[in-house]
Amino acid sequence: MARVLKGLTTISICVLALTACAKTDEPGAAAQSPGQAPGPVRIGISLPLTGDFSEPGKGIQEGYQVWADRVNARGGLLGRKVELIFRDDASDPNRVSSDYESLITQDKVNLVFGPFSSRLVIPAAKVAESYGMLFVEPAGAAKEVFEQGFTRLFYAAPAIADDHYNYLADYLLKLPAGQRPRTAAYASLDDPFAQGTAYGLRDKLAAAGVRTVVDEVYPPETTDFAPIAAKIAAAKPDIVVGGTQFEDSVGLVRALQELKVQPRLAAFSTGPTLPEFPGAVQGAAEHVLSPVGWSATATFPGNQEMVKRHQEMFGGAANEDIANGYTVGQIVEAAVAAVKCVDPTPACQGKLADHVRQGTFDTVVGPLSFDDQGRPEQAHMIQQYVNGKIEIVLPGNAKTADLVYPKREW
Amino acid sequence: MRIASRGLPPLVAALAIAYPWLVPNYYLVYAGALTVMYAAMATSWNLLGGFTGYVSLGHSAFFGLGAYGTGLLVVRAGLPWTAALLVSSLAVTAFAVAVGVAAVRVRGASFVIVSIALVSMTNLVVQGWRSLTGGSTGLQVPSPFPGLHRGQTHLVFFHLFLALLAVALVSWWYVSRSRFGAGLRAIREDEDKAESLGVPTGAYKVAAFALSALFVALAGGLYALWFGSLDPIFVFSILIGSFMVLMSLLGGVRHLYGPLLGALIVAPAGEYFLIALGETQIHLTATGLVLVLVVLFMPDGILAAFRRRRAGPSIPDETAEQRLQGAAR
Amino acid sequence: MVSLLLQGLALGVLTGGLYALLAAGLSLYFGVMRVVMVAHPAFLFLAAYLTYTVHTTLGLDPFLALPLTVPLFFALGVAVQRLLVARLAPENLAMMSVLLTFGIALTIEGLLGTFYTGSYKSVSMEYATRSLTIAGVHLPYDKIIAFGVAAATLGALFAVLVKSRFGQALRATIQHREAARLVGVQTERVAGYGFGVGLATAAVGGTVLALITPFFPASHWVWIGKLMAVIVVGGLGSVLGAALAAVLLGVVEGLVLVTVDATWATIMFYVFLFLTLLARPQGFFGGRLAHRF
Repeated sequence: MARVLKGLTTISICVLALTACAKTDEPGAAAQSPGQAPGPVRIGISLPLTGDFSEPGKGIQEGYQVWADRVNARGGLLGRKVELIFRDDASDPNRVSSDYESLITQDKVNLVFGPFSSRLVIPAAKVAESYGMLFVEPAGAAKEVFEQGFTRLFYAAPAIADDHYNYLADYLLKLPAGQRPRTAAYASLDDPFAQGTAYGLRDKLAAAGVRTVVDEVYPPETTDFAPIAAKIAAAKPDIVVGGTQFEDSVGLVRALQELKVQPRLAAFSTGPTLPEFPGAVQGAAEHVLSPVGWSATATFPGNQEMVKRHQEMFGGAANEDIANGYTVGQIVEAAVAAVKCVDPTPACQGKLADHVRQGTFDTVVGPLSFDDQGRPEQAHMIQQYVNGKIEIVLPGNAKTADLVYPKREW
Repeated sequence: MRIASRGLPPLVAALAIAYPWLVPNYYLVYAGALTVMYAAMATSWNLLGGFTGYVSLGHSAFFGLGAYGTGLLVVRAGLPWTAALLVSSLAVTAFAVAVGVAAVRVRGASFVIVSIALVSMTNLVVQGWRSLTGGSTGLQVPSPFPGLHRGQTHLVFFHLFLALLAVALVSWWYVSRSRFGAGLRAIREDEDKAESLGVPTGAYKVAAFALSALFVALAGGLYALWFGSLDPIFVFSILIGSFMVLMSLLGGVRHLYGPLLGALIVAPAGEYFLIALGETQIHLTATGLVLVLVVLFMPDGILAAFRRRRAGPSIPDETAEQRLQGAAR
Repeated sequence: MVSLLLQGLALGVLTGGLYALLAAGLSLYFGVMRVVMVAHPAFLFLAAYLTYTVHTTLGLDPFLALPLTVPLFFALGVAVQRLLVARLAPENLAMMSVLLTFGIALTIEGLLGTFYTGSYKSVSMEYATRSLTIAGVHLPYDKIIAFGVAAATLGALFAVLVKSRFGQALRATIQHREAARLVGVQTERVAGYGFGVGLATAAVGGTVLALITPFFPASHWVWIGKLMAVIVVGGLGSVLGAALAAVLLGVVEGLVLVTVDATWATIMFYVFLFLTLLARPQGFFGGRLAHRF
């Protein structure tokens, strides 16, 4: 008993002594002492550099780096150099939270940029939101991201996942009755983003009477697509739509070829927008459609500069992930320039968020504006491989070639 | 000397309780809470692994089920969080009894295979059952303390995990002194002989399995309430299960404080590897090599080296016969 | 519907043949050492990556990687057994070996990720998208090749096990280690070679895998559970049992895939695993030794 009492006394003395040095709730409150010359603007980013999402993670990292390089060449943010701090979250939400937690409370970064994948954006945004940080993100497109009540989250791309195929849906439904597809097959990766894209199109077509004959969901570890293709082959659909990332889009195309499925239209998300796609499917890319939020040939502000600088820095062709990363930088850059503060305090971050919410921003993916939940209010274009080249085929005012329908056999 | 060693546990406990006020920022509170959670899970794992020698790589199944159970009861059934936590943990325990009846029928390698299969299967079911669990979109659980800001929530959950750890430690200690514990140890040494001497090996194994699952499920439930977003492929991760094993093994499976010590080493080391070796996957290699080295050169763990001195309560190194007598007594 | 089922059946048989090859090594390890080699799938993908390197840098046919990888993996297998597994204390070998090989698997995964990055790689041949059509059932050429290679490798393995002196010594070691030692079999050395042969099958399996699926460093996790289920249903330690179980589970998977979905198809592996343990813990085709270990 005496020992327990002694222990309790020790504890209470400790506690009393320690409450004095309680932590400040303000992130970054002690970041700089007044009078000192301001150091660089430090931006904290957690990305899946390893693990399941590492490929697009790398693209976004390159986009951020190209943006930092450009902004520093222009003299930095408010005259201060930009310094990016990357953490690897290994595609794990535990890590993503702990990364942002440490970036905000330990490194006391000035700004945070978003991670990759809808699966990681929600946990990451929760951290940023609770510390009052502005959270512009390049990859959380699933509609659930915007249903969490976040007030400082903005998705830096033209449209959320469910709206990616809107132009294609309009096009198909406006076709004369004889050409309109009657049946459609959908295969989607079990992932909120990929499913969002496919189901957005499915729901619109189904509502207009296009019968869904296959609606297949496969888990992320799937590598054998022959059985799914067999199901599609048995249903003989007019069009095939894949809610895909890269490797499964390739797998699906190969399996559909093997099982001799010849739809009149084939559309896949993400995969066909990457430069590796035509090589990976070996000639089957012709006339494949894909929603795309960015085009290498567009002349939006900064786009050609980004493509060129990316080529110099990393030696490869730019892609949509890189553009999305760059777009985040452009939006935050514009907001900082307008509000004239980059402190991690909730007050400054709140002003930045207010500015992003009300403004329209010139970016490499075109002018962007946001609704109250942070959803972008623009639309994705539709691209198609025509004569081996990526052409924008929808909408009409942006097109570089006419949509080919029905497609050539693969 | 004796007084000093007696005073040590209360002092360490006091320091642990004070930890959130000792560190300079909330990230370290967060990291501390994660470490204590792992310590509690490794200690619970050791209720099965340490006593019976049955290595389960699949305890993350109970972690995930506890987390999803609690989350679903809060979100779908609107239960208060305490009730949800208790109901879900008891349900997982019942599930563990059912699985245990099948799983402990097999020994050694087959048992490990079953435990791996259990994680994969629960992952598939929870991910596939989209209408209930939200599938790959994940499940968002509201914070039980909406009034507190994030740092204060970390502080509360740090202490909740600490309490869970204390309960797990006391349970291990209690079992180690009980007849039940003696029976379990007999199973570890020679299961057939134990059975022939009248130890109800099947029932004992199932009981140990379920008890160990109970605490892991509680940890999972607390994690769901604390973390707020659940994603099947991450909570039903074989890596989480293997961390419990690695921590226990590194510290010493025969010692009360072994898994705790292991967690205190492995969890911060994991963070360090990730930050120091950051941008490549070489940190996996580092974890793998540590596991190989421990298995090859320190299968009894760090605390075994201190056995002569005081390493806290542990399973005594007695012969199988002594242990069987203890069990049959 | 019938044609769809036939298609599922055909794909299932072809995939099952591949499962048989991939599980053969696991059965061998368990047979000679009572060891569950969790790292086997990781070695499969190591072989797949080596094949990829040979194919992309030297421009050779993927199968020309085999003269390099098979001896290399045989040596690796002997090394793993002699230097690592044999050092484990015998009384808790089953459990500790799982942890040891789990550590090896993580090590390999980390190294693959470091050298090849985390992105998907694939070896795509010009025949990859064509198929043979028999009575409305499409048989993809790459799967036919995979099945053929698997069958040939397994045939060679059985021939070695049944005909050669080494095979007899190996089988003697599997059946009764002490007795084998008494009649003069050097069981330690045989166990080492058993591991070598097991990993050599992984070299072949990895090349075949590289042909038919894209892969990335963490790909091996999916295979651990599936292959474990195969060897338990087949009966731990029985190479023939594993092969039969592999085809059975491949067919079940194929049929469920075309009728239900991918999630249920994978769950079937675990359903069969649990049913086997409840009904017949020693496995349906295997010997008597399984549930003891």
